[in-house]
Amino acid sequence: MSKIDFASVQVGDTLPSKSLAVTQQLINEYADICGDYNSIHVDVEGMKSNTMFGGSTIAHGTINVEPVLQALCDIEGLLWPAEGSKIDLQFRAPVKPGFTLVSNLVVKEKKTEGGKNILVCDMKIQNKDGGDLAMGSTVIVCS
Amino acid sequence: MEQKFNTSLVTNFGPAKMLPDLKFAEMEPGWDCGGGTYKVTKEEVDKFAKLMGGANKGEITIPIGMIYIFGLRICWDRKVFLDGAIRAGDKISFFKPAKIGDTITTRLSIADKKEVKKEKDGKVRINRFLYVDMNATNQSGEKIVEIQMSFLLPATMQ
Repeated sequence: MSKIDFASVQVGDTLPSKSLAVTQQLINEYADICGDYNSIHVDVEGMKSNTMFGGSTIAHGTINVEPVLQALCDIEGLLWPAEGSKIDLQFRAPVKPGFTLVSNLVVKEKKTEGGKNILVCDMKIQNKDGGDLAMGSTVIVCS
Repeated sequence: MEQKFNTSLVTNFGPAKMLPDLKFAEMEPGWDCGGGTYKVTKEEVDKFAKLMGGANKGEITIPIGMIYIFGLRICWDRKVFLDGAIRAGDKISFFKPAKIGDTITTRLSIADKKEVKKEKDGKVRINRFLYVDMNATNQSGEKIVEIQMSFLLPATMQ
């Protein structure tokens, strides 16, 4: 059951968001699970002399998407996004330790198709302290 | 930068010729990049749920973010992440939920490629983009997720 009332949602509404604090420990433990130990992610000392990302490690690209995945599930009231749900995103900037990722979903279209209540949203993943990290759109299926 | 990846985490399959063996002109839509299979265990789901700020409260549906993790393992194994390529974006479509104990098969193939001309200060630069489909099904052949990854290829790539 969706956590939002489809009938009362209006175009322009901001939907509930999710956040994730990115730390080097989180990146290291993520590497343990996914097996990706590239120096760009885990070599804190080595990356200090690398100018590409300002002397910092960066998070795995898939960590960036996590707040939107969680927000989608939370809004739909499901553990897995409903069939028909979609995300389309473009990465804008790397995510570094110390960032707090926040999902931002704003309704741009509301419709009912094939018996499904659908919200099309503009989507951003932002750093809490400013800056867009990823942008795109989502399709949310409300039950 | 050192490339280190634990390739013992999945079973992969596919042609001996992989993406790094191809020139841009040879990267045609439909080209089979191979794939991999993995069984989703409760131990991994618990570890992931804890890391992302929640405990797995006995659910059997796996967190959607884990599909990315399995996809990452297979992409590294099948050398889909080319040296110097930059991840530009993802398009994700969701289908049936994956559950603990499922055996997931993920297949990778070239979806498309594109050349974009950019002119700056009288100089023309060509940006080359590659689009790779990563489609996952469960042991019954049901679709669980389809992801199309886009990459900006390095300027040095021929």
